[in-house]
Amino acid sequence: MAIVVKKVELSWLDRSYIVPVLKGMAITMKHFLRQLFTPSRKRFTIQYPDWKKEMPEGYRGLHELKRHEDDSIKCVACFMCAENCPARCITIEAEEFGDLNTLQGLEEKRPAVFKIDMLRCIYCGMCEEACPKDAIWLRKDYELAAYDRLTMQYGKWDLMNTYAGPDGKLRLLEDPTPTVARKPVLP
Amino acid sequence: MESLAAALRLSPPTLWMIVKILIVFGAPLSLASLLTWVERRGSAMIQDRIGPNRAAVLGKFRLLGLPQLLADGIKFFMKEDLVPNHASRTLFWVAPMLAFVPAVLGFAVIPFGKSFIVGEYTLHMSLLDPQNGMGMMFTMAIGAVAVYGVLTAAWSSNNKWSILGGLRASAQMVSYEIGMSLAVLALFIRAGGYDPHEIVAAQSGVWNVVTQFPGFIVFFTCMFAETNRLPFDFAEGESEIVAGFHTEYGSMKFALLQLAEYIHMVTASALIVTLYFGGWQVPFVKDPHVLLSVGAFLAKLLFFCWVFIWIRWTLPRFRYDQLMRLGWKVMLPISLANLLIHAALMYRAGH
Repeated sequence: MAIVVKKVELSWLDRSYIVPVLKGMAITMKHFLRQLFTPSRKRFTIQYPDWKKEMPEGYRGLHELKRHEDDSIKCVACFMCAENCPARCITIEAEEFGDLNTLQGLEEKRPAVFKIDMLRCIYCGMCEEACPKDAIWLRKDYELAAYDRLTMQYGKWDLMNTYAGPDGKLRLLEDPTPTVARKPVLP
Repeated sequence: MESLAAALRLSPPTLWMIVKILIVFGAPLSLASLLTWVERRGSAMIQDRIGPNRAAVLGKFRLLGLPQLLADGIKFFMKEDLVPNHASRTLFWVAPMLAFVPAVLGFAVIPFGKSFIVGEYTLHMSLLDPQNGMGMMFTMAIGAVAVYGVLTAAWSSNNKWSILGGLRASAQMVSYEIGMSLAVLALFIRAGGYDPHEIVAAQSGVWNVVTQFPGFIVFFTCMFAETNRLPFDFAEGESEIVAGFHTEYGSMKFALLQLAEYIHMVTASALIVTLYFGGWQVPFVKDPHVLLSVGAFLAKLLFFCWVFIWIRWTLPRFRYDQLMRLGWKVMLPISLANLLIHAALMYRAGH
């Protein structure tokens, strides 16, 4: 059954058009005065390049590769994130490393290359969901732009250091434990 | 004033004429460009936005966004001056001027202050002195010419949108002219003359807006139609016909058309103030000082300019049939009744 639209009977005051116009003008004037006397910091508009919005908890922005307390990478190169990525933007190459690290839960595998193509990434957070080690987080940075495509390829060290500054951590350029040369596979 | 005139070897009236020309042509122009800023910032505030505030002098002093005017002006001058291939070249060039000149001229008879005496001369605060034989007729005639600017711009562009805009605008302006003229006629009957000085003098006690409220409503509405401002901006109609009559215009020609609209707004406010709000009369002051009278006129003028902007950002555009119905079936009868009532009252009073 069709919806019957009720026709509103306007009173003669409303039909005169003058009173409703004055009402409308009162509303716009109210907005005008309210906006005029609001300090600009408290207005709705965030004047972007000067002021920045603090993103809420759970915002999915730039990734971070998490590290243990001894600054070694948490990632164990299990490829779950790369498998789960709907945009196929994660490239991982695994490697072995020698000294068994108790903090790392006796792992002996880690990524030699961990690359995210930020131009492809859709910030869906599936990598974060899939990660068994909680090693990859999407956090609050959102100003990701560059003048060329190569800059948007974030490598392992870029990703580990993305939030080093705000978190007060060291910027890392190499793993604390050395890489073991891959044993030749016997025929 | 006398000593300055003597120093320049001019008689006081000649000097005053030069000053008046500067005021009458300079003030609406500068006021119009300021109004573009008021419009943009004011509309922003009405819509809880901030508006243009980033243009800065020397990249530092933002001054509430006022440098935006300067930036816009420079931009308009620097832009390529394009005439479309299929446009009628001459008319396309003439149209902005046709829109601009009548807008500026309309201010010529409006008294913007009390007359004052210098030595043996009585100097008047309107470009054309009182008793010039034209009075308000001049303004009405010039106002009627303004439609040609829009129409010429629309027609010469040879563009469907423009022609639609021009068509609607001309129909609208012509049909609202009648209601407006009848409303003003009632004022002439009351004041006993069509000179704006007489009309202002007749309002020294009670303003016309009190005695002729229906006439005021009609006149006010028709002024919106005449200036092509938003509830009636059928010439432009940017949500329906791109930009209406100035679709094909760019650079300084566009700026002229736009400026003409704002000058029209200033002139229309001046008309409303003169005809219905006592011109330069100051309420409760019997014989105001000259400067006070100019101040009062300016304050009223600016208030009505703001009302124009205020209403534009309050009301949506009418539908075309609504516009025509309002013009012919509401405004015309009201102003006609207003005229007849006032004529009958004056007749009974023995005039």
